[in-house]
Amino acid sequence: MSNKRKRIDLLYQGLTYFASSIAVIALSMIFIYVFRNGSDLLDFGLLVNDYHAEYYNADIEGNITYSTTPAPDGLEDNMYYSDKWGIAFEDTENREGKNVIRVVYIAEDSPMRDLNDKNNETSDTFGIEEGNIVTAIKFDDKASALPIYGAEHMINELDASDDFREIVFTSLGGGIRGSIISTLYVIGMSLLFSLPIGVFTAIYLNEFAPKNRVTNTLRSMVEVLTGVPSIIFGLMGLAVFVPLTVRYTSATSGNLISGSLTLGVILLPVIIRATEESLKVVPDALRNASLALGANHTQTTFKVVLPNALPGIMTATLLAIGRIIGESAALIFAIGTAVKDDISIFGKSTTLAVHIWSLMTDEPANIELASTIAVVILLIVLILNISVKLISMRYRKRYE
Amino acid sequence: MKTVFKIENLDLFYGEFQALKNISLEIEKNQVTALIGPSGCGKSTFLRCLNRMNDLIESCKIMGDVAYHDENVYDRDYDVIGLRTKVGMVFQNPNPFPMSIYDNIAYGPRCQGIKDKKRLDEIVHTSLEKAALIDEVKDRLNDSAMGLSGGQQQRLCIARAIAMEPEVILMDEPTSALDPIATLKIEELMNDLKKDYTIVIVTHSMQQAARISDKTAFFLMGELIEVDSTDTIFTQPKNQKTEDYITGRFG
Repeated sequence: MSNKRKRIDLLYQGLTYFASSIAVIALSMIFIYVFRNGSDLLDFGLLVNDYHAEYYNADIEGNITYSTTPAPDGLEDNMYYSDKWGIAFEDTENREGKNVIRVVYIAEDSPMRDLNDKNNETSDTFGIEEGNIVTAIKFDDKASALPIYGAEHMINELDASDDFREIVFTSLGGGIRGSIISTLYVIGMSLLFSLPIGVFTAIYLNEFAPKNRVTNTLRSMVEVLTGVPSIIFGLMGLAVFVPLTVRYTSATSGNLISGSLTLGVILLPVIIRATEESLKVVPDALRNASLALGANHTQTTFKVVLPNALPGIMTATLLAIGRIIGESAALIFAIGTAVKDDISIFGKSTTLAVHIWSLMTDEPANIELASTIAVVILLIVLILNISVKLISMRYRKRYE
Repeated sequence: MKTVFKIENLDLFYGEFQALKNISLEIEKNQVTALIGPSGCGKSTFLRCLNRMNDLIESCKIMGDVAYHDENVYDRDYDVIGLRTKVGMVFQNPNPFPMSIYDNIAYGPRCQGIKDKKRLDEIVHTSLEKAALIDEVKDRLNDSAMGLSGGQQQRLCIARAIAMEPEVILMDEPTSALDPIATLKIEELMNDLKKDYTIVIVTHSMQQAARISDKTAFFLMGELIEVDSTDTIFTQPKNQKTEDYITGRFG
């Protein structure tokens, strides 16, 4: 008998071990995959750079004073330096995974620091900068030096010439600054819409509404809304908010406002429910104490109940922000999928999640950059979750 | 002796259940009236009728008269808020607000629209003084009230009630959650307070009723069995049930 019981115990325990190890493996595999693919590109430049590379065509004017600086220390095997022009190139890959030639060093006295911008003649101080991508150097007397021949060839060609007709270069590009900014805009605007409405609705439902069938119906409708797939909200955004914003603002299609409103509607039930939960845990003893002191219902609600529910509302807000950062389906409809660098709230743009989506629908898909953005999102969500934990810990302490 | 509350033929129902049956009782000024009886006998329910805290219970239905200075508090257009500022209440478990000691006491006056800082300082100070708490907290008025001990918290709640300058203070088993020393302090406090206030106290401890009250009312199964001066109740009860209860034969 006892042997049989032992075996059954072992079986059940084994099942729990098995299930939890599968869960752990699945989760860590996602993390490992994303980090392995994305960590190479993760640097500060990524966060502050534009996504679309800027093109420059430049030439050099007047008498050229060549550089006299010798090659700097620490040049690696794939870096090549021209003594005459004081510039070093390397073979590398850009954030889209294409082979490019990048400027890694420019000497102080390099003539490349004083170029003439052909697209903007008035600019005084214009030159090639470290990190720029060189796409061509054109000469008067021979064939152009192109990236397909590599950095060594380009440096040799340059070193052998006294002058060139034109140098074409671009900024690095592939950065996610625009998407970060529009994500921040969307977070701000959707919370601006959903937080006050959600919190006040929750206060009404929990503190003022008569306990009857209408209230209960309202509450269960809110609960149903929490479970509706976000793409349906996206359709609603496309059908309602996009035309509305196009009609009343300077927007011409999906824009940050319509996207934020759509997200705001998605967040409403989340915020209402979380706020209601945090209002419910405020002890009735506090309400009674306040009422017995001659405070009326409104004073009790806003002076005693609401301040005590604030940590819960904070938690709800952070969870909502997590939801905003992770949302893509609804926003594809309501904002659009065009990655932008100049953000206007009346214009199309992408949040980080939608940026991933548009990278993966490119031909070919840019898995590396998508993974890097995923890493950024994961880090933000991680920080948010830790803050949620810290806040609720402090909250619990108050009543103990 | 001046009568503050005059309760006549009070019936109270929670849904179908009748919790109070035809209660008539007078509560006199500057006296301590103790309500005793076994659990569920309706004494707390009765207490909560006096400042209409039963309004918060939806299924609660009340018939009869609860006259406060000859005005029935259950009249339709009676000013409940005004009643509660005149009839304060202290609960079984200390329930200070999770804010500073100062803010706890200033809460009531602030709700009545008193904003003047000087006036509030004065109210806070005198209330703490009357509640015999001032020496313990005067250096940390801005600390959280949650950091006080249970007995201190309960005296803070009394101070908070006093801050409203009420006429009557209702106490619903105010010492049942406290240790004997804190209980003793609160009993001493009540003895001081009855000079200025009328006190109605619900208590489970018959010794406490005997020690502090001038008048005792014995409740059983929603009925008021006997009410008389405390001495009479504890020495020569007229009703057999009262005698059985105070001698510990049941309850």
